[in-house]
Amino acid sequence: MMMENREKSLRIEEMIAALPDAGNTGKVSPEILADISKRISLKKMPTSALTRFWSLGNVQTKIALGYLAYRVRSSFVSAGKKQKLLNETHLAAAIRLLATMGYMRGAVMKLGQILANLPDVVPDEFAEILGALHFEAPPMHYSMIREVFVAEMGREPEEIFASFDKKAFAAASLGQVHKARLKTGEEVAVKIQYPHIARTIQADMRNLRFLLAPMRLSADWGSMTEYLVEIERVLTIEADYEQEAAFCRQAGKLFERAEGFVIPEIYDQYSSRRILTMEFIPGCHLQEFLAGNPSEELRNNYSLLISRFWARLFYSAKQIVADPHPGNFIFMADGRLGFIDFGCTRATSVEEQEMLAQLEIAFLEKDPAKIDQVIANACLYHDPSRMSLVQLQVIREVITWQFGPIVSEKLYDWGDSDFFLRGMELNLEMVQKGCSQSMPLCIWTNRMTYGFRAICYRLKCQNYFGRICREERERAQNG
Amino acid sequence: MRITEEAKNQNREKIIKAAAMLFAEKGFEETTTRDIAKAAGLATGTMFNYFPSKETMAMSMINEALLKGGADFVTRRTGEEEFAEELFLFITTGLQRLRAMHPFIGPVLEKSLSPFARKATCKEGESAREQHLAVVSAIMTRHGHTMVPEFLATNIYWSLYLGILAFWSNDDSPNQEATLAMIDYSIILFARMISAADPVAGGLSK
Ligand SMILES: Nc1ncnc2c1ncn2[C@@H]1O[C@H](COP(=O)(O)OP(=O)(O)OP(=O)(O)O)[C@@H](O)[C@H]1O
Repeated sequence: MMMENREKSLRIEEMIAALPDAGNTGKVSPEILADISKRISLKKMPTSALTRFWSLGNVQTKIALGYLAYRVRSSFVSAGKKQKLLNETHLAAAIRLLATMGYMRGAVMKLGQILANLPDVVPDEFAEILGALHFEAPPMHYSMIREVFVAEMGREPEEIFASFDKKAFAAASLGQVHKARLKTGEEVAVKIQYPHIARTIQADMRNLRFLLAPMRLSADWGSMTEYLVEIERVLTIEADYEQEAAFCRQAGKLFERAEGFVIPEIYDQYSSRRILTMEFIPGCHLQEFLAGNPSEELRNNYSLLISRFWARLFYSAKQIVADPHPGNFIFMADGRLGFIDFGCTRATSVEEQEMLAQLEIAFLEKDPAKIDQVIANACLYHDPSRMSLVQLQVIREVITWQFGPIVSEKLYDWGDSDFFLRGMELNLEMVQKGCSQSMPLCIWTNRMTYGFRAICYRLKCQNYFGRICREERERAQNG
Repeated sequence: MRITEEAKNQNREKIIKAAAMLFAEKGFEETTTRDIAKAAGLATGTMFNYFPSKETMAMSMINEALLKGGADFVTRRTGEEEFAEELFLFITTGLQRLRAMHPFIGPVLEKSLSPFARKATCKEGESAREQHLAVVSAIMTRHGHTMVPEFLATNIYWSLYLGILAFWSNDDSPNQEATLAMIDYSIILFARMISAADPVAGGLSK
């Protein structure tokens, strides 16, 4: 697959030559580039991990840019002058390429901030950064919306709906969302995808990967191919609203509105691969919710709902919410929790489920040897003795941070900044120590954990997380 | 015996229909004028009284479609569109009418609308160009885009438009969605070019 991509991609020299002058685009400030080259010290760069994080696509950029910034600052281990220069060139070029991708604007701006702040960012900033980095599709005017409707549905929005707001009320990562009313009276949210955006992103990502590839120096490039396949797959799923609708419907069956969960109804007859018409869920997002100074009770209650939501999808549907960013949760006025984005849920295979179950058992039994064995499997070494002690140690800690709460009976304080920051640090350490080889699944479990913990951290909530997980595990076992 | 106006129109119609069918079936290059005459049930010589070449037939079809597209545009326009949006609506509405010709339009446009072709080669092509540009000029005037001399603006526009058509004729993405993105970007580019004072005037509404 890599070879194929290489052929399709531009040659590096061509790509660098074709890049607009960074100073002129106004998108990447010359300061950022200057800062980068200044910070590139005499250190070698374990780039396979870096490249992976860069090329992950959607989410990935969220956490990824943090890693990148960290790398740029501190992870260049000594390399020859020539290699250093090469790294600099490619990294600068990659950032400039990134800057030409309109849908990464926000991410690039954030990158500048992160570069300026890491590792001095406080946990609150970190949590916000995780939530804020996103793809941004170009905005569509109403004439474009009409074209997409005519192409997808054969009719104009005005023929389909009783009313349709010409201006979007929210941005989506691959498009935008409009409010409308069905002829039968229901209020709906209509998500519309910018034409061809997924393929554009895929092509750009290929170029980006290619641009960064020469920087790779460590040996675990091998598992890269697998990751790439994985990422392409997920982006493809995310771009297909029919799949999203199917996931949404499947998940909807698991949650009762009386329990406090609201998963939107999907209106199939007004949906297609590029248009998703669903029940409108009134309410606000996390930031606005917190701005209203909610009581501790309310916050804890939401944390229960969010935790249960996660756990039920995980145990009963065997789904991983790979993109649990705050924009996907709606805090409704009546205290219920709306969840609106099933674009980035990932089904787990039997093999992966087996691995996760083994890990859980190992933790429940507090059996270090078993834990190490599962880690070795997940990292594709299959035998702990084939891993370095340093690697094993870091991953053990990461997994403990991730899995500890799941198997614990104690009350967790998710607003504890030391705990939250420890997780962030561990992740950086993992990258730094070159522990990047793992099952593709781990990208998503990682993202899922960090995404949910960032939300709970901002909620400053407490709950008996392990109990919720146990209940949901049992619920799944009992069908 | 003089043939009536009505019979003439009928013959024209027959030829265009036969040609459209054959172009779609066999491709433009593979279809001969003899094939068309045969399918239309006319003598080749008679057919040449109506159309001197298959290029003119194809271009007549395109012309007709674009004229219909122009009329569609007038009815579809809400009057609320900003500059870039209105231009977008005009181009895409025209393309909707051309859709049936998508399979064979590439080589026809290359022959009839090429900026390098001598003007006299295809008067249908020339008239399509003039009509199209008249609408574009009107849109520019309506939105107050008079900074750049009109002949310059329309020339820049025309090369972009040909580029869009060329791209569209080769676009095999679902529903030619790649072309939609291409049109969007091209128009934003064009709007920036011709609004020297305000680089984003008439651009995105969001
Ligand atoms: N059913 C709905 N009811 C109310 N608001 C909605 C609904 N669907 C979407 N929205 C609004 O649109 C925004 C984007 O929707 P959604 O998250 O589904 O898009 P997305 O393409 O998956 O983007 P992202 O990756 O940014 O989540 C949401 O944050 C929310 O504000």
